[in-house]
Amino acid sequence: MNKFYHTLKTIFLLGWSIFVVFPFLWALSTSFKDANAITSGATYIPWVDFEPSTQGWTSLFTTGSQGINIVGPFIDSAVVTLIASLVSLILGTLAAYGLSRFEYRLGFVKNSDITFFFISQRIMPPIVLAIPFFLMLKELGALDTIFGLVLVYIALLLPIAVWVMTDFFSGIPKELDEMAMTDGCSPIGAFFRVVLPNSVPGLVVAGMFCLIFGWNDFFFAFTLTFTETQLLPVSIVSLNSSVTPWWSLSAFALISVAPLACVAVIVERYMSRGTMTGAIR
Amino acid sequence: MLQIDHLTTADAKVSLDDVSFLFEAGKIYTILGRTGAGKTELLRALMGLNPLTHGSIKLDEKDITEEPIRARNMSLVYQQFINYPHLSVLDNVAFPLRRQGKDKAQAQALASTMLATVGLGEFLQRRPAQLSGGQQQRVALARAMVKQSRILMLDEPLANLDYKLREQLREEFPRLVADNDESIILYTTTEPREAMELGNTMIVMHNGSIIASGAPAELFANPSTKDTASVISDPPISFIPGFVRNRELYFNEGHQAPSEGLLLPEDGPVTIALRPDAIEPDGAFNAKIGLSEFSGSQTIIHLDFDFGRAIMMVEGIETFAAGDDISVSIQSEHIMLFAPDGRNITLRNNQHG
Amino acid sequence: MAKIVLENLGHSYSANPNGEYDYALKPVNLTWQDGKTYALLGPSGCGKTTMLNIISGLVSPSHGRLLFDGQDVTNIPTSERNIAQVFQFPVIYSTKTVRQNLAFPLECRRVAPARIRQRVAEVASLLDLGYALDMPARKLSADQKQLISLGRGLVREDVSAILLDEPLTVIDPQMKFMLRRKLREINRQTGVTMILVTHDQSEAMSFADEIVVMKDGLLQQSGTPEELFSRPQNDFVGYFIGSPPMNMINLEARQGVLATDALSLTHQAPTESSNLLYQMGIRPEHISLVDDTVANIGVGIIKKIEHLGVDGIVTLELAANVIIKAKTRKHTQMTVGTAMGINVRHNDALLYRDGVLAL
Repeated sequence: MNKFYHTLKTIFLLGWSIFVVFPFLWALSTSFKDANAITSGATYIPWVDFEPSTQGWTSLFTTGSQGINIVGPFIDSAVVTLIASLVSLILGTLAAYGLSRFEYRLGFVKNSDITFFFISQRIMPPIVLAIPFFLMLKELGALDTIFGLVLVYIALLLPIAVWVMTDFFSGIPKELDEMAMTDGCSPIGAFFRVVLPNSVPGLVVAGMFCLIFGWNDFFFAFTLTFTETQLLPVSIVSLNSSVTPWWSLSAFALISVAPLACVAVIVERYMSRGTMTGAIR
Repeated sequence: MLQIDHLTTADAKVSLDDVSFLFEAGKIYTILGRTGAGKTELLRALMGLNPLTHGSIKLDEKDITEEPIRARNMSLVYQQFINYPHLSVLDNVAFPLRRQGKDKAQAQALASTMLATVGLGEFLQRRPAQLSGGQQQRVALARAMVKQSRILMLDEPLANLDYKLREQLREEFPRLVADNDESIILYTTTEPREAMELGNTMIVMHNGSIIASGAPAELFANPSTKDTASVISDPPISFIPGFVRNRELYFNEGHQAPSEGLLLPEDGPVTIALRPDAIEPDGAFNAKIGLSEFSGSQTIIHLDFDFGRAIMMVEGIETFAAGDDISVSIQSEHIMLFAPDGRNITLRNNQHG
Repeated sequence: MAKIVLENLGHSYSANPNGEYDYALKPVNLTWQDGKTYALLGPSGCGKTTMLNIISGLVSPSHGRLLFDGQDVTNIPTSERNIAQVFQFPVIYSTKTVRQNLAFPLECRRVAPARIRQRVAEVASLLDLGYALDMPARKLSADQKQLISLGRGLVREDVSAILLDEPLTVIDPQMKFMLRRKLREINRQTGVTMILVTHDQSEAMSFADEIVVMKDGLLQQSGTPEELFSRPQNDFVGYFIGSPPMNMINLEARQGVLATDALSLTHQAPTESSNLLYQMGIRPEHISLVDDTVANIGVGIIKKIEHLGVDGIVTLELAANVIIKAKTRKHTQMTVGTAMGINVRHNDALLYRDGVLAL
């Protein structure tokens, strides 16, 4: 019986792996094609089915009407995502610390209600916010600017930071803060000297999630930017036309995904929260 | 000295109820009480970790009730081994000194001296997570002592340690805190024997207030209330309802109780307390054996009398079968009488001490 | 009901153990009679929890066999072993009443409702919890909650043994006393074998018919409390059992006898000379203190008196700077600094060679 399940498991995992990895392999292979490679039907393996060409890749770095510029959108995406993530992380961590250590009360509103308020923002369908944000940025004169996009992204990423860090801080015993205060720290000092150094895994995870969600966002980038500011997801889509340069598109997509892949690897290593268990027996 | 007046808190689980006391410098106070008696809450209120609804705290005549935690000149050792996980043992102990403004070299020198005193001189560069429970508590103790604060508070510090390790550290404890002439040391525990062993002065807490205080031997010999007698005794003391009628003492169903040497109160109900040493084999009282337990070189026998249950301790190892009958005598010099309101009303003809 | 046999039972958590240190539990042979109470006693990390987990089935031993009533249960899963376990922290279903908590194991086994009611009532009265049956379980005190945990094991009629893993940890000292009595009574009335794991020697001594002392995965001694107390097989058992631990006094070989300047008690010296350490082990309870004018085998100055209630511990310094402790009930009449005479019966002064009891 065990053998049967084992084979079933292997087949399923193998199948699923192929299903997941195939698009990337396809994109990789396509990025080395040129027009000749696709004229007589689909081709798959370089050198066996077709002659590889670097046209897809080089076109991304040439400017001008013939070239597709990837550098501009890449920088714009990076700037927006990094700034928004950093600010969200800082503000979110501070908020999470407050929520996990102190008790707030405004009428009937308690800590758990405030935390839920943050989380609920991620439950809301983004389309609900499209028009309000558009109008707000228009009033501010911030449409199609990095500044405007950063503002919006902070609003979107902040809940993630709060969510992850509140959960993480609840795993750090309050007695540690108390000990720091009895040892001469002010409450803020206790936070910076004792709680934060022990929160590195949590910060890494929260930070990485912010980067991932920020980098991947298409909807708001599409709605709120046009020409001056172009983010990667929007740029890719704009490549689609009557004559789509599939090879460039594939290369573009791969480059867009590459940073995230690195981030995912790092997040995986920090996901375990083993570091805190030593403090309390 | 530390003067606390009318400390009251309003915590969800256990609150302090109008606690006042004067602590003198250079003394070790053990605070004994059951779980939920308010011991931890008292220490936390002194430290400023739990807010007071009422009352004041004065250290050396200065009112520190409103002072922030870091300015209170107190240290606390927790029951759960609390150390900074991200710092080495040496930096853990140097931490408070650095906050005081000392430079790194000076702080580390003082810290390593203190760590040598608690027997951890070899472990300076390790992380707390790499140490055993007993060692982690020594680090916490070293960090608390290195500050030389006026008040050193320990909240059941040995409770999470193995029996034998606890015994060993208890033995070492006086030596570890020996250099504290000016400090006031507060040590809480639930174990009567530990409290009696460690403290110059014992404070008994119950339901959020202090119900007794004094020298351990004195409190044991003459507990002022029934609750005090109950909390202090290990093995437990047995309480049997009784009454006085016509100047004679009786156990509840009318069984005559020995009262030689006791000055009995007026007729009325009393509670008769029997300490384990009050009962001895061979005598006029009949009981059934409920259980016999072995305790070192003594045997503890649970007796079921007609009028209630009591515990007898005999020297030596005797095997008694449960259910057997046994006759015992009850020594009136180890009986105590308590009034219905809990006061100790034992008076002896030849009062000594 | 079951007679439990541990046959060469050992466990190593590593796949290829090649030294003593790889074993969490070194192979042991033990036989436990049906219906008695046993204690596994030792410091943290001694292997007692590993042994308990092997018996309950949570761990499969890497060596040896486990037999219940002659049947090999080594590879039978926990649910089929008819074992109930009580843990260090009370495990109760906090949303249910006491009655529902006790009934739960029977409901899982599809026992008839009438029988469930009857069984729950029986067990509740055994635990003295009859009055609390319809109260929410979370409102009870810690010791009552532990009784509920125990009760959940007892309701099952096919239970062969109850394993208790340091169950009195969260209980206050006075309550521990009462709870121990209750556990012993239950053992007597139901005849169910009980195995208690603890690091507290006083708990083991008062609870168990037989105690197994362990250290570093190795069995040190197994016997009745009396045997362990009066004749500890090695210095570890002498140290671990009894509070305060056994006094160990170093002896020197002089003219055919082993003697010390501290006391005039001697043992026969060995015929061949050796470099082994000889010590005399005397329990504090076996030392009687008398006036120094009365016949004695040694004199000591009182250094410290600890009042522990009914009895007390007196620390004395004998000749040659030997420090010993004695337990006495007359501590209130003694003062620090006075000289006292020591008396010990020859049978109570045990000879240890290199830490092991020499006969």
